[in-house]
Amino acid sequence: MKTWQRSLLMVVGLLVVGTAAYAQLPDPKVHEFPYAGNRAAVWVVAQMHILFAAFILGAPIFVVISEILGWRNKDARYERLAKEVTKVTVILYSMTALTGGLFIFVLLATYPQFTAWLINHFFAVFAVIYPLLFIAETIILYLYWYTWDALQGPKKLRHIAIGVLLNVIGLTTLIVIDGPTAFMNTPAKLAEGGMDLRTFIETTATLWDKMNNYSWWPLNIHRTVGNVVFGGFITGLIAAYMYLMAKNDEERAFYDWFGFVGNLIGVGALLALPFAGYLLAYELCDYDASICPYMMADQLSMFFEMQGAMVGLIFLASNYYIWLSMKRIEGIERIRMSLATLLLMVSVPVVFMLVWTKWPVPDLMALVVPAGYVAVWLLIGKFIPWTVSSQTMVKVAFLMVIIGNAIWMTPHAFVATQALAPDDGSLSLPHGEVSLRFVTVSWDMLALMPAKNAAAFTLVFVTIINYILYNRALRRGRIIWGKIDFAAQFVLVFLAFSAIWTMGLMGAVRELTRKYFHVFNLQYDFTPESFTPTLAYSSWVITGVTLTFYIVVSFAIVLTLRTGKDKAHAEAPKAVPAAAGAK
Amino acid sequence: MAAVRSFIGILSKRLLLGGIAAVVLFLAARFVFHFPPVFQVMFVLYAALGTLVFILLDAPAVPTFSGFKAVVALVAFYAVISGAFIAGANFLPQYDPQVEKGKIDKIVKPKLAATDKGKVDELLKRSEELNAQSQAILKRLEALGGEEAKKIEASLGGGAGPAAAPATTGGNLIALGKEQYDLQECYNCHKIGGKGSVKKRGPTLDNIGNLMKPEEIKEKILNPRAWMAEGFDKEYAKKQMPAKYKELLADTEVNALVAYLSSLKDASVQTPKPIKK
Repeated sequence: MKTWQRSLLMVVGLLVVGTAAYAQLPDPKVHEFPYAGNRAAVWVVAQMHILFAAFILGAPIFVVISEILGWRNKDARYERLAKEVTKVTVILYSMTALTGGLFIFVLLATYPQFTAWLINHFFAVFAVIYPLLFIAETIILYLYWYTWDALQGPKKLRHIAIGVLLNVIGLTTLIVIDGPTAFMNTPAKLAEGGMDLRTFIETTATLWDKMNNYSWWPLNIHRTVGNVVFGGFITGLIAAYMYLMAKNDEERAFYDWFGFVGNLIGVGALLALPFAGYLLAYELCDYDASICPYMMADQLSMFFEMQGAMVGLIFLASNYYIWLSMKRIEGIERIRMSLATLLLMVSVPVVFMLVWTKWPVPDLMALVVPAGYVAVWLLIGKFIPWTVSSQTMVKVAFLMVIIGNAIWMTPHAFVATQALAPDDGSLSLPHGEVSLRFVTVSWDMLALMPAKNAAAFTLVFVTIINYILYNRALRRGRIIWGKIDFAAQFVLVFLAFSAIWTMGLMGAVRELTRKYFHVFNLQYDFTPESFTPTLAYSSWVITGVTLTFYIVVSFAIVLTLRTGKDKAHAEAPKAVPAAAGAK
Repeated sequence: MAAVRSFIGILSKRLLLGGIAAVVLFLAARFVFHFPPVFQVMFVLYAALGTLVFILLDAPAVPTFSGFKAVVALVAFYAVISGAFIAGANFLPQYDPQVEKGKIDKIVKPKLAATDKGKVDELLKRSEELNAQSQAILKRLEALGGEEAKKIEASLGGGAGPAAAPATTGGNLIALGKEQYDLQECYNCHKIGGKGSVKKRGPTLDNIGNLMKPEEIKEKILNPRAWMAEGFDKEYAKKQMPAKYKELLADTEVNALVAYLSSLKDASVQTPKPIKK
């Protein structure tokens, strides 16, 4: 029996057994997980499932793009990258099905009444739409993999079409299953003077009313972008492992390039992630304003401090990778940038914070003024003769990442709950108001959203500038793939680990915003574990999940790519050395 | 060897500059900007991070290695970053779940009892215990304005919600109202007695009892669009105050909250004027 047949059988089997288990729930018994407790059990299994699912949904997006690039540019490296990532995806697909089935069982055993209630409300989704999509995706994924060698040459377009179809089904699956997930956070807006929420959901609401809730589309966008980031960094991880195991310069050259592309994909999508996250948080706060202080100021405030630290580390690491990659380009010392760009980069956090304080988002001026500001500086750069070296640019960029991250992490108060905030201000940011002509400023502005947005923009802007610089160096200099500082492989490993850890942290935050409800404001969680866990406890769970996921993925990478290395090696391009700009 | 010597030179220079930056930032935060100690520490930590980054930028290239050495290095690297992330999370202030557990019990248990008939007896028993305790509290609170609380309760009238609290009177009602204020975490947006939100989300309420009648406060809680606090136009437009309390709170709980808020009459604290919408 082939792998795809075994996987399909496993998925169908799990669904049948799961449905049968659900059907036998007239008076369900709640099972207690020893030591960890039921919540931690569901937490671990759900997070594991989401991590595997994120990869198998995120990776095909850039795999198909890579395949297209390889086909159009006649560059075998892209083709090989796409094929190797797909090979790992196929193995991890089985793990997605396995953890998905396990997730259903654990839910049914630990929260039987609520699980039955949720399944009843989304019966068509759980019993028909989602299983059909999953089966369709299984078939298409294995079709995509097993037809890879057969559909070459003039038939290549057919293979690409299968890949596109795989992505369409994958994204549809994500969107469908996000419906019940988002429903648990934002079931429906409480009617003002009309029907109350419970009556509406239990009697009148259609499946579409429940699916099309406040946070559904923000969650879809956030998860899609997040999955690409995740897939990109896991690609970097694959490259790092293979680089470590490489036996010759050709292998090192290929996996050096592989890691570069993985980082590029991860960072490229990462640039959009803070804004997708902001959109989701904005919608949650708009749905119920009490969620906002719970997240940003009260029980979860320090989770967001940790998120700030993680985002800062990820941006520092990705820029450090660019730096290491740039250092081995011959002729990098000749690459220079306008002084105006440097001044623009330095001024962005302060200027944008003031602008967004004066004209808060979504005021049109909040877009027009910053865009105009950037355009003016870039125009000045065209006319002034002063330039700075690429090394200076990158070093200033690192300084700006640290400053941007410091602003991102500045809280109103260093307390884990507003209820216990001391009166004396010993843990709070001072006000210290100063009136300028344009706008009134104060120190505590640093803790407000305009400052956070300016900080996020600074991190993104600096990274874009670094990539522009890197691109110039690639076009004008000469790169030798395979000769990168060995530390770069550990940076790739760090990026993947940090991305997974942050994903676990923010997943916990989204779930915890439901507070002591299974479905916010609608279904109370009557179990003794409905409280907010500490960040310290959560960090242990998240690290445990991350390490377990890493062990499985590491095993999958070594097993699939190392064992098939000889065959892949035969297809490897002779890539060292090559002119940086060469196609 | 020359590369090592060169890096030692760079290392010394960076450490010196990082140290100077840390001292300057610390002194500026303490004596110029008058930041609290925790923010002074934060400035020093960022100087340390900056120093580390700039040392790494000029560090000599790590030689390539593989095989067993690479595996050991990877495992050690995972251990270090796992430890660093856990340590970072443990270093930050921690929320005490016990505080929330007590609150959740008070909120969720009545709801559970209301949906499960088998728990009715247990609820009655608990009510009797609470009543005995409340009588004791009442005696103590009456001395602190119980007569006024009784008047407020009379003006609002009684009511039975899905999880009706035991009959309450006077200062007992105010105490229960204060409890509701804490349980619903109103302090996340409002301030009373200088305690509560450090961010301007909702108005200070210290003198609200002099500015609004009890029935007006009740109207505001049940229908937040009915009233707006002066200077809070933006927050009102963004519907900052959720309209969920009429569904989540029993009538008796709302009355208790109103009684508590109506008892707040500290004219020395500037409280935004309510505007009828």
